[in-house]
Amino acid sequence: MNVLLVEDDLPLAAGVTQALRDKDYVVNQVGLGQHALDTIKVDPPDILILDLGLPDMDGIEVLKKLRQTNPELPVLLLTARISVEEKVQGLDAGADDYLAKPFNISELLARLRVMERRLSPGHSTLIKVGPLSFDSLSCQVTLNGESLVLSRREYMLLKILVENAGRVMTRSRLESGLYSWDEGVGSNALEVHIHNLRKKLGPDLIKTVRGVGYRLAGP
Amino acid sequence: MKSIRSFLIIAILATITLVWFIAALQGYQSGVSEAERLFDDQLEQVAQLTASLGGDPVSINSPPRIAYQLWNQGRLLLKTKNAPEAAMVELQPGFDYSNFGGYRWRTFVYPHGADEDIVIVAIRADQSFAMAEKVIVEALVPIVLSLPVAAILIWLIVRQGLKQLRELAVSLRDKQPQDLSPIVLSASPAELEQVVSSVNSMLTRLEESFLREKRFASDAAHELRTPISALMVQLYNLENELPERSEEVRNLRTSADRMNHLVEQMLALYRNTPEQLATNFTEVDLYSLAQDVIAMHYNWFEEKQQQIELTGRAMLVKGNRFALETLLSNLLSNACKYTPAGGAVLVDVFMLEKDRVQLLVEDSGPGILEDEQQRIFERFYRVGGDRHASRQPGCGLGLAIIRNIVDAHEAEISVENSRFKTGTAFRVIFTATTGGVTHEPRFLS
Repeated sequence: MNVLLVEDDLPLAAGVTQALRDKDYVVNQVGLGQHALDTIKVDPPDILILDLGLPDMDGIEVLKKLRQTNPELPVLLLTARISVEEKVQGLDAGADDYLAKPFNISELLARLRVMERRLSPGHSTLIKVGPLSFDSLSCQVTLNGESLVLSRREYMLLKILVENAGRVMTRSRLESGLYSWDEGVGSNALEVHIHNLRKKLGPDLIKTVRGVGYRLAGP
Repeated sequence: MKSIRSFLIIAILATITLVWFIAALQGYQSGVSEAERLFDDQLEQVAQLTASLGGDPVSINSPPRIAYQLWNQGRLLLKTKNAPEAAMVELQPGFDYSNFGGYRWRTFVYPHGADEDIVIVAIRADQSFAMAEKVIVEALVPIVLSLPVAAILIWLIVRQGLKQLRELAVSLRDKQPQDLSPIVLSASPAELEQVVSSVNSMLTRLEESFLREKRFASDAAHELRTPISALMVQLYNLENELPERSEEVRNLRTSADRMNHLVEQMLALYRNTPEQLATNFTEVDLYSLAQDVIAMHYNWFEEKQQQIELTGRAMLVKGNRFALETLLSNLLSNACKYTPAGGAVLVDVFMLEKDRVQLLVEDSGPGILEDEQQRIFERFYRVGGDRHASRQPGCGLGLAIIRNIVDAHEAEISVENSRFKTGTAFRVIFTATTGGVTHEPRFLS
């Protein structure tokens, strides 16, 4: 996987480069927005990590120019200034994800993994969570190697949980993933699906955070 | 408070009244002397006329306000009934005053003819004064009656003249604390122009320094966060490269984490002053926000095997979403930190009364002594200092940040004992917004 890192702070850039290379990413690094645009023209990377505070131009500007030529390139923004407006501005300009400094390197790696997965159907679509394996391409779900039969809603629910394994998904996030706006959501419809999933997956894989939501055990 | 308007009205009215009465007095005096002159002319004419008639007895029956005597060589030849036997006045030719018959008289002695007749004519002086007074009173009455009319007119004029001043006062009074835009008056007279331009230049300077401070904080955030990120990433790499867990690296990690935490808290403290927060208020569902914040920080509780539970239902309050998120995560972080492993934390959002929403965060920690409950919102104050049983590192800014956010939302916060056997409860009470639950735009989580 080829990553272009646009970051002007050398110690940070060196550290991130090192950490990504340890995970077998091919990393190129530039410190100026213009250099980034030039590099992308010549040798487009698979993923772009873009710092918003660059010395020569605003990261949002880089992103806007980039989107005219490379609309598909996945972009992860890094910024030290975090406000809701900036977040919205960044996403409006076409960023795929957003990470605030100071970030945890494992968080960065996790975001890159998600982008990679979205990126190429050619890459593995198989996600393994403990005894569970989930293949979104073939819609195959197996537990300890045995195939499971799930209803459509159960499958959709499990997909969200698997893709965000280790993170608590709020009830509203899960409901909006399961039902469109015009479909009425029964007050305990979510509980019913979770209950059914637990019957098939065993009681311990999905954890309830009372009043908040559900979480699938970490990978 | 003294009012310029009533001062002006009273002062102008007093001046006008004074000037009018001085003029009236002058008028009275000149009226009296004018009356005197008229009577003198009349006396002279009567004297000449009577003298030329030669003391015709028919003419002796004069009106009672005129008296007449004719003398010759010290003898009284003729007199009117109202004249005394003695000379009415010394026999010096000319005008004089004299008192007889119970009245004051104006007299005129007029020597006449070759036989040295002397005619004395007198006229009642009090009647001439009365006439002058009557003239002056007639002139004064309309002036006195017009005083109220003048007062009303002056009041209207002064009111109109001070209109811009009042407008300025109102626009200054109604200015929101965060509104630093210049004041604009519909028409500003020369006298007020100076005041308005001074106030406006002051507002501009204030806004500039405010923006400078804001930029500084934003730059500081960037300048501090980037090297801290570098430090964390390098530490991560170092930890991976070293074959074994080293004490030095662990200490480095602890220090880096503390520094990171302190910088974030200082930035949050700055960002969440009421002046900074006043903009960007929207309707926020406190319950779904609590869901998001708990989901975001669930690992805190998991690491300490603590039970976290949210109860309640959707409640809208007006606020800054980002600040409310900081408020909740600070309350949750405190609850987690000061509660031992295996403890419990409860979050509850509910309608207290018709228009008040309560956020309650309770823990099963050791609790806070009542006299310490008063002090905990001071900056850098930490319960029990670093010797607290939880041995938690911290900078003591968390509750100051919470206080700022609570103040900016005009909410109330109180600390009490939780419903657990021991433990602390933080109660924040917001004013609910009216209207139903609406869906605000959701940001990427």
